[in-house]
Amino acid sequence: MEKEILEEGLNHNRRKFLSRLSLGVGSLALGSLLVPDLFSGKAEAEEAMMKALPHFAPKAKRVIYLFQNGAPSQLESFDYKPLLNKRMGEELPESIRGTQRLTGMTAGQSSFPLVGSHYKFDQYGESRAWISEVFPHTAGIVDDICIVKSMHTDAINHDPALTFFQTGAQVGNRPSMGSWLSYGLGSENSNLPAFSVLLSRGRGNGQGVYSKLWSNGFLDATHQGVQFSNSEDPVLYLKDPESMSRAERRKMIDQIAEMNNLSMQQFNDPEISAKVKQYEMAYRMQTAVPEMTDISKEPESIIKLYGPDCLVPGTYAANCLLARKLSESGVRFVQLYHQGWDQHGNLPNEMRLQAEDVDQASAALITDLKQRGLLDETLVIWGGEFGRTNYCQGKILVDNYGRDHHPRAFSIWMAGGGVKSGMVYGETDEFGYNITENPVHVHDFQATVLHLMGIDHERMTYKHLGRRYRLTDVSGKVVKDLIA
Amino acid sequence: MLKISSIRSILESTLFVWIGLTLIITLAGNSLVLPDWLQVVGRSHPILLHFPIVLLLMGLLFFWIPGIDKKPEIREIGEISFLAGCNFAGITVLAGLILAQEEYTGEILTWHKWGGLVVFGGCVLLYFFRSIKANFIRLSSVALAIAIIATGHWGAGLTHGEDFLLAPIQSNEIEVIPLAEAEIFGDVVQPILQAKCISCHKEGKIKGELRMDQIKGLQKGGKSGPFVLAGDFEKSMLIQRINLPEDDKKHMPPKNKTQLTEEEFLILSEWVASGASFEQKLVTLPTKNELYQLASVKFEGNKIYSFDAADKDDIQELNTSYRSVQALFPESPALDVSYFGISAFPPKSLSDLNIVSDQIVRFSLNKMPLDGVDLKFLKDFKHLEELQLNFTDLDAEQLKVVSELNTLETLAISGNIVDQSSIQNLAKMKSLKKLYLWETEMSSQDQETIKKALPETEIDFGFDGKGIIYDLNSPIISQSETIYQDSLEIKLSHPIKTAEIRYTLDGTEPDSISSTIYTKPIFVTNTGKVIAKAFAKDWKGSKPTESVYIHSGIKPSEFSLVYEPNSKYKASGPATLFDLQKADASNKGQKWLGFQDEPMVLEVDFKDLTKAKEISLSLLYNEGAHIFPPSKVSVQGLENGKWKPLASNSPAVSPKAAAARSELLTLELENTNYDKLKITLTPLPHLPKWHSNAGSKGWVFIDEVIFNQ
Repeated sequence: MEKEILEEGLNHNRRKFLSRLSLGVGSLALGSLLVPDLFSGKAEAEEAMMKALPHFAPKAKRVIYLFQNGAPSQLESFDYKPLLNKRMGEELPESIRGTQRLTGMTAGQSSFPLVGSHYKFDQYGESRAWISEVFPHTAGIVDDICIVKSMHTDAINHDPALTFFQTGAQVGNRPSMGSWLSYGLGSENSNLPAFSVLLSRGRGNGQGVYSKLWSNGFLDATHQGVQFSNSEDPVLYLKDPESMSRAERRKMIDQIAEMNNLSMQQFNDPEISAKVKQYEMAYRMQTAVPEMTDISKEPESIIKLYGPDCLVPGTYAANCLLARKLSESGVRFVQLYHQGWDQHGNLPNEMRLQAEDVDQASAALITDLKQRGLLDETLVIWGGEFGRTNYCQGKILVDNYGRDHHPRAFSIWMAGGGVKSGMVYGETDEFGYNITENPVHVHDFQATVLHLMGIDHERMTYKHLGRRYRLTDVSGKVVKDLIA
Repeated sequence: MLKISSIRSILESTLFVWIGLTLIITLAGNSLVLPDWLQVVGRSHPILLHFPIVLLLMGLLFFWIPGIDKKPEIREIGEISFLAGCNFAGITVLAGLILAQEEYTGEILTWHKWGGLVVFGGCVLLYFFRSIKANFIRLSSVALAIAIIATGHWGAGLTHGEDFLLAPIQSNEIEVIPLAEAEIFGDVVQPILQAKCISCHKEGKIKGELRMDQIKGLQKGGKSGPFVLAGDFEKSMLIQRINLPEDDKKHMPPKNKTQLTEEEFLILSEWVASGASFEQKLVTLPTKNELYQLASVKFEGNKIYSFDAADKDDIQELNTSYRSVQALFPESPALDVSYFGISAFPPKSLSDLNIVSDQIVRFSLNKMPLDGVDLKFLKDFKHLEELQLNFTDLDAEQLKVVSELNTLETLAISGNIVDQSSIQNLAKMKSLKKLYLWETEMSSQDQETIKKALPETEIDFGFDGKGIIYDLNSPIISQSETIYQDSLEIKLSHPIKTAEIRYTLDGTEPDSISSTIYTKPIFVTNTGKVIAKAFAKDWKGSKPTESVYIHSGIKPSEFSLVYEPNSKYKASGPATLFDLQKADASNKGQKWLGFQDEPMVLEVDFKDLTKAKEISLSLLYNEGAHIFPPSKVSVQGLENGKWKPLASNSPAVSPKAAAARSELLTLELENTNYDKLKITLTPLPHLPKWHSNAGSKGWVFIDEVIFNQ
């Protein structure tokens, strides 16, 4: 018994305890064999989460975003305000303007005279939506679209407002909406980039667009928007040099990939594997792009539908046709920008020209998708970065006036891809200055687009510099009323 | 012989092994990659777990035996079984953590996992501190016992389903009802009545003589009147009562009971408004109906498929660079297959899809060359609902196969020729909901036939453009230079190959009858303007488009400006005027010389070279930017030491602001007897009255001066 008691004591001395602890440490080491990435510091969790995408059944498979850059006036397009014609030249009441800040362009104006639309409005379709006379073709498809009259944004100048719409933040360096979708859902067609960008320029006063708008931000470079050019080569630097055979190119790409993989093993930089993927994609694009851009097989009626400009590369009409072809070929997100909507002055002349350029082709895109049975799975969005003021910038003349930037209320339209059709959503006051019903913030709009694509905007995140980022930042609510 | 003490010692040592392994696996979390044999260990968790439960609970019981301290042998039994229990707890936890890597997820797993870890940690601590205060130990033992039971319960929830234990005594099962089957009354209205009304209007408690627990009772109504009358808000007691102010005695539900939510209120109202039917299905309402919009969100909108999912690896393998095979949405067994890449399309690959033939619900082969491909394999796709075959060169035989696919709901065959026999075959597809027949060369009579045959189907014949006449777009003029020296080639083109281009070189607008038809490039050797228009059948003639070409025959040997141009617009100085580069019609970009306060006075000397007889000035007009034609242009020649006038002009001022444009002003000289030339352009002294800055000085912008013989 004495011995037992002694042993009991010994059993618990420090040395014994430590030696037992070493067993524990040994088992730690053994266990660590089961965790291959334990010491490489790579986070697989993000990837595992992404594998769960889409989060729920998507209504739309693809998006075509017809961005009207420069901010088309809602008061000359979809937001009919007869009161402004009645009270033409009268001062904008203080009570309506409230505390709204102004841009430097009209902040110095001593008076803010209300100005009504130079164009006539009429009601169309079953939804009896009001549309101005410069959008006759859009009026023709009004029962296929959903007009949102109650959009509002935070920014008041072009660049931050555009950046806000595209990336969810007013400052640069965040991924664009198309990049997020590419990251979240990948490409349907592995031969084409998931995110493509097309530019065109109208005849109105314009604002530039910059490649940061289709940047991948902190996401992998494979999610960057690929800009299609207006030249003979829609994608630059894609062609092989003359006398280089396809087999040779294949061999070269394979060998470069081999070397890149070696450095990948050494440095573990994800940019290296992105590069390998990009070479591979470019190789496949060499056959996929000419096939896709070929318009020789388009039926004659297509030229009438989109207008003959669709055969002139670089026009909005040509880009709409190309957008349809890209989308039909499985490109997840096609982003168009049409510049020239910044009518600070000369609005009655310029807006007519702008509308002339985009109206027919935008409507044609809807009709074309519809007649192929693709509208149900393709979401089309038409709209600018903010609206325009109900008061005139500069002097009002009989047939000439201008409008400044207005972030508080503006109109866009959406069609297909699970959006209700033949609907007008939201309302503004009689002055067209403030929203009175169902406001839709830019983040709400983004959340809704992601929702239609089967993504919960709160769950699609990316960890960067120690913080998880999302397209909708820390806000945004899905607008269920817009969803069919 | 093995002594008790050494068993105890071994068991204590192994305890540390389990602790270590547990730590690492817990911390590693999801990054764990398990070899197959470990999965077997993991799956033994449900067997192993019984040991620690029994041993630990038994060990805990010993702490409660009165006077245990005085009976070391009994205490020993308790301690050993508790120690063994601790070891089993460790093993069980390990196995559990491994098992958790398989397909378990969710909140309940988290509870069970951490419960297990707490139990393991707790029993280890309790074992090593077993000799401290008995009261504390007893308290801890109760806590541990509770933890064991709770963890066991959560675990059972994982394997047998949540609420397994209490299920027999609970009966409110919630079932997801597919939207397609939801009934307006049974699934939307009834649940509201059940929750808010029935407690007072049922057998045994029939207030107001209204029984709401059976449809018959509702149809009969109550003491005060009918319960509902289709579309009649006035006479429907339901609507009347819920609309009364809450303080009213007759307001329903009564003041002290749970009130209707706003949504419930709307649903009941819309139900009556839309006919108060007791049988109608929700989907029969138009989607724009208020009630539909309120209620449809409550049901599972995604179609639920009962067939098994395909093997994940098979699906993975089927995804190639030309084919995408995806689930309709996560967890759905239904597949959506699309082909991309015309040149990469191997028709043989279609047979690969046999292994998922049961699961394919949507199939797209748009634009793939299917000429001669046997489509009979489609008949094996038992659940195919949507088929897209736009522009695939289908023949009548292939369309016949397609028309026999009786599960189809959506069919898109735009861009294929649909002949009479195919129309007959398509006409049999009664279950089709949507049919796309654009560009199928069907006559309007054919279209009527198929519309009549399929009255329930939404048919889209698309846009054919016949009878609509739009403006043609203008032709494109291409020339390598605007200002040239010898001869210039001008090419005209139009994106529509069949369009006819007519042009003039005399400044008049071309017409569709007499103007020259463009057939080959035009060569010019003079200065002028080409104006072109395009014409085509079924189109209105285009707007005219024009382009100038300027012949520059002579270059002066010396030139100088008397006054400097305005410092903001000096381009590259006077040399700009003779660089033969025509600038764009924009005052930005430093391509134009601008004058406002001083006139432009240019002196040129041809010395021994040929002297010019004709002078052309390339000017910019942009009224909005104050850039106007000069008020006067005069040319003087130095003859015998005296300046003599040789030509002059006063170009007209536009009556309103127009777009920025460039114009060529040409002056013919009276003679060439001069030694030097002086050209003077005087800016407009006062802008015209109509201008918003009327009265201030105008600008003159010039970029080129051209001399010819």
